Amino acid sequence: MQTEIIEKDIRGQICPSSLLLALREINRNFDRLANGVLEIVVLTDNRDATGTIPTTVENMGLHSEVEKIAGYYRILVKK
Amino acid sequence: MTSGALFIFGGLFGLGLIAGFFMHRSDFCLAGAFRDLFLFRSMHLIRPLVLAVAVTALLFELARMTGFLPYYPFPWFAPPALVNVLGGFIFGLGMVLTGGCVVGVLYKLGGGSFLAGIGILGLIAGSALYAEIHPYWRSFAETSRLHGQVVTLPQLAGISPTWWAGGLFLVGLTACFFWWREGLWQQKFKADGHIPLWVTALVIATVSLLAVKLSGIPMGITTSYAKFAAAAESVLAPEYVAATEYFAARSLDLTLPGTGQTLSGGGGARFDVVALVQYPLIFGIILGAFGSAVAVGEFKPRWSAPGRQTLMVFCGGVIMALGSRMTPGCNVWHILGGLPILTIQSLLFVAGLLPGAWLGSRFLQKILI
Repeated sequence: MQTEIIEKDIRGQICPSSLLLALREINRNFDRLANGVLEIVVLTDNRDATGTIPTTVENMGLHSEVEKIAGYYRILVKK
Repeated sequence: MTSGALFIFGGLFGLGLIAGFFMHRSDFCLAGAFRDLFLFRSMHLIRPLVLAVAVTALLFELARMTGFLPYYPFPWFAPPALVNVLGGFIFGLGMVLTGGCVVGVLYKLGGGSFLAGIGILGLIAGSALYAEIHPYWRSFAETSRLHGQVVTLPQLAGISPTWWAGGLFLVGLTACFFWWREGLWQQKFKADGHIPLWVTALVIATVSLLAVKLSGIPMGITTSYAKFAAAAESVLAPEYVAATEYFAARSLDLTLPGTGQTLSGGGGARFDVVALVQYPLIFGIILGAFGSAVAVGEFKPRWSAPGRQTLMVFCGGVIMALGSRMTPGCNVWHILGGLPILTIQSLLFVAGLLPGAWLGSRFLQKILI
């Protein structure tokens, strides 16, 4: 089965849009995330989000990967 | 500018560069500290703020005892008034909607945030608006005064500031110790070149002490936004600006440490003592953050925020400027400058700031989601 990906581009937005919008998508799709059929990608230029999003999703029993791309960060939230 | 004034200007510019660099690297956001407390029940930015206040209290008191401080209590702190609470409330609301406080928007602008620039325009517009209501507000503020002379809690209680500062330091340090035992300082930030928040808290405490040594007063920058407003309005209506009481007044006097020269200043567009102690910090913080962002390849200004969010940030800036002029002072002035020596004004400001930030967080959530 192919994994679906939802991508949210939050670059240039006010803090804490990255965490708020990531949480909204996670809560809306938690079962599919937890089953591994969905992954959420957040693109952000908010440095604080590279700590707050991973900590928050780990507390929810999920995992994350942070990667730097051309001056911004790609945060992958997955099972 | 005399050589003494030039030394102060240069020194504060250097301190601004350091503060801007560290604040950008750690994303040390004072507005975020209160916002995240209410929005996410997260203390991750409150903890370094507690550490900064506790260490600053110790540094200021040691400096006072050893004669290192030019003045004590610091000039420009007045006896308490109820408007300190009201101004703090309005400031707290505005700061959350702006996405940064008066200093936060500077390091975010230096880091490449367009929205922070919009917030600064809001701060300038709000300062211009305040100038219009200043005569009425000044009369009201006078009637809300709670005490005629006393500025700090130690003065009010008649107990040596050493006990108060020592107590504040021990309480703050104890909290920091328990957070450390629970591993709460170890949150990993994966941003390039990230500096731990506790390091920046210690740097900011040291910068605060040196700013007081150089200029006699702690870091504060908000009157400068009124100066920028006066300069902008002067282009369109110079005679109107000259006749506006708030812009014409020179109500702030400061004797420069080291030179003994007494200068006055205010919210007008002149290069006066307010400009001398605030402009170097403002430009230093922006440039320090800019240098940090360029070094990690993250200076990429992007105009991509939704219109609704942009409007919210502008309005937040207007509200925050009104709060800072009504109080008067900003969160950096009161939390990192006044709170460590327990000025009653600053305690009242924080008492208003907390519910203001709570309300701002509620609005923010509704607007963003």
